[in-house]
Amino acid sequence: MIGEIAHFLALASALGLILVLIFNAFFYSAGRHANQDILSYKLFHQSCLLIFISFGLYIYLAITDDFSISYIANHSNSQLPIFYKITSIWSAHEGSMFLWIVFLTLWSTLFIKSLSFQHQLKKGTMLMLTIIILGFLLFLLITSNPFERILPFGVLEGADINPVLQDPALAIHPPLLYLGYVGFVISFSFITAYLFHGDIHYPWEKDIKNWSLIAWIFLTVGITLGSWWAYYELGWGGYWFWDPVENVALMPWLAATAFMHSLFASSKSNILKTWTLFLGILIFALSLFGAFIVRSGIIDSVHSFANDPQRGLYLLGFSGFITLISLGIFAYRLPNMQSSKLIVTGSKESFLSMNNILMLTAIFSIFLGVTYPLILEFINGDKVSIGPPYYNTIFAPLILLTSIFIMISLEALWQRGMQARTLLIAVTPTFVISSLILYFIWYFVQIFSLLAYIGIYSGLLIIISYLLKGVISLKNKTYINKGSFVAHLGLGLLFFAVSMNSILSYQKNINLFLGEQQFINNSISEFKFLDLQNIKASNHDVVSAEIFIVHDGQPIFLNPEKRKYFARGQITSETAIHATVLKDTYLTIGDQLDDGSWTFSLQINYFIKWIWFSSALMVIGILMTIFKKKIL
Amino acid sequence: MLRNRKKRLQKFFIIILLSALGTSLVLFSLNSKLDLFYSPSEMLAAEIKPGYRIKLGGMVEIGSIQREGTTIFFVVTDFEAKVPVSFEGVAPDLFKENSGVVALGYYSDGLFVAEQIFAKHDENYMPPELARQEPK
Repeated sequence: MIGEIAHFLALASALGLILVLIFNAFFYSAGRHANQDILSYKLFHQSCLLIFISFGLYIYLAITDDFSISYIANHSNSQLPIFYKITSIWSAHEGSMFLWIVFLTLWSTLFIKSLSFQHQLKKGTMLMLTIIILGFLLFLLITSNPFERILPFGVLEGADINPVLQDPALAIHPPLLYLGYVGFVISFSFITAYLFHGDIHYPWEKDIKNWSLIAWIFLTVGITLGSWWAYYELGWGGYWFWDPVENVALMPWLAATAFMHSLFASSKSNILKTWTLFLGILIFALSLFGAFIVRSGIIDSVHSFANDPQRGLYLLGFSGFITLISLGIFAYRLPNMQSSKLIVTGSKESFLSMNNILMLTAIFSIFLGVTYPLILEFINGDKVSIGPPYYNTIFAPLILLTSIFIMISLEALWQRGMQARTLLIAVTPTFVISSLILYFIWYFVQIFSLLAYIGIYSGLLIIISYLLKGVISLKNKTYINKGSFVAHLGLGLLFFAVSMNSILSYQKNINLFLGEQQFINNSISEFKFLDLQNIKASNHDVVSAEIFIVHDGQPIFLNPEKRKYFARGQITSETAIHATVLKDTYLTIGDQLDDGSWTFSLQINYFIKWIWFSSALMVIGILMTIFKKKIL
Repeated sequence: MLRNRKKRLQKFFIIILLSALGTSLVLFSLNSKLDLFYSPSEMLAAEIKPGYRIKLGGMVEIGSIQREGTTIFFVVTDFEAKVPVSFEGVAPDLFKENSGVVALGYYSDGLFVAEQIFAKHDENYMPPELARQEPK
């Protein structure tokens, strides 16, 4: 019964949204009237509310094990802790799409509420949001209905959540990522409404600036959490694998980052306006492209949901439709938007736009990498995959150029060019110090890799230039943008940590009997297999090994596990990680051999912590920007 | 006006030229970094050069998995041809006999040396490249 109510509420919400559209289309010619506006806003908010209630009921259904609902029966189990009963809702396509829509609705209704009634773009934005929500709601209800019943009788026991997903990270990674993805629907709709309305002098930046920054934070944290999860889960390829789904998350992130930067420039000096508008549209378009890639099943990835051409076609069609609307209006208004000011060569915004171009190049390269296998297969039937080497080669020069521009733009001024001599004097110390550090790194590790060294050098350029600037401004008490300072330090650290990780980390495979010990290398002088235990947990059996390692003179105990889940009979490995500031000791247990010995895989991963930390710095930097007293 | 237009046209061509250059560079780098996907019979027919990284996909033959120390030996089959594979390390959790597998590595002298092994992600899910060749 509750299932039907939830289903009905979702349908009712779709109907409400359709009414909003019809109503506005009908009265469009009749001219603006306050009462009619009040009514359509009310209807819009109530429709949103219905979706929330429907999702709330769905959570209730999942908690109470209603296995007559097909989706819940396939992804949950009565033996699961309540925590996982709830998170199992977004462990597969239908439920996660539902969550996606809930967040879409949440952002929309909050944003519309935040605009005053007199706001000239309120109605246009609401209508655009209505179309988008409606499109996805219909997609959910028509092609992937989470409310579908198993008729005439439900099953007694659910098929269980996929054990690999039975992890606390499932509770936070998808929701935060989705919040980030769909958060950019606001800039998308608002910009479309602004362009449609045609009052080009309206300062639209201020209305969506903070919303975009918050969405950016969610996106960044969501991607980082996914990276962290993929790192500790065996078989997911480590913290970043250039998996197609990671790539489709990185594209909107890059676009959003470029958008943020040009938003600052555009609100400060009224330049780069068209560019900013275009980026604002692009972010959400890329999010939609990501949704299509992941949910159509046309690519092979850790994340891909089951293959369903119907879904893919609908998503592609609908995403294409709204993106075309938006870009069409953009193209129509473009001739009126020409900014009277020109960008001065050598000014801050000139370097900023250079970096925007570089980010767009990166987006394009990723896009090519994701779609190229599809195109190639379509043309001549060759099945290919594009792995990390391609992306690493593409990104190394881009990162170096970006870092140099960031470094120079730190010295540059808004709307004013600078002399080559001043510039040279300003950046020389950074170049010298970075080169020295790079030389020392080479001297100590004695490993050379061109790509990694480019990455390290790029990171150093950013870090050193900002640190020098920080020291100088502290001494002279001059102004420094603290949010930007922290965020860029984070970026530099990210380049540095990722590159250092790639040259220093290594893996050892070990084969041992119980009680045996082995010398691995000078750093890991002892590796001892102490104990092996069989433990019973609520819904799985555990084989837990106890390993004693002496790592750089430090004693460490690690307990890698293998789990066998009852409901699906599936086996998963749980890694054991000992983390220090510089490196992680990462151990997994493999299979037992016929002679009774066990295999282990030991990884020493350097600078992993720094990767998470650098992303935290970027988020903190943006938070500082949001909460700065003077905004704009 | 005319001069303005000429200038614009010049700019336009420069941009076109640069983006064409960029795209061809990217495509060039792409071509050398592709991993072609083969089934065992396709791979044997294609005469792969040693040192050329490819992806091999098929089913793990029943009873073919052997473990020696930290190395795993197994046979990948598409029910027409068979290729012996070696892999050093811990295999993914869902790696087992009579189940789909994709190996990334090099083929030389009758042995495929895998750098990485990918197995199915869960019981129901199968990579599209495997699903395509699975016997119906």
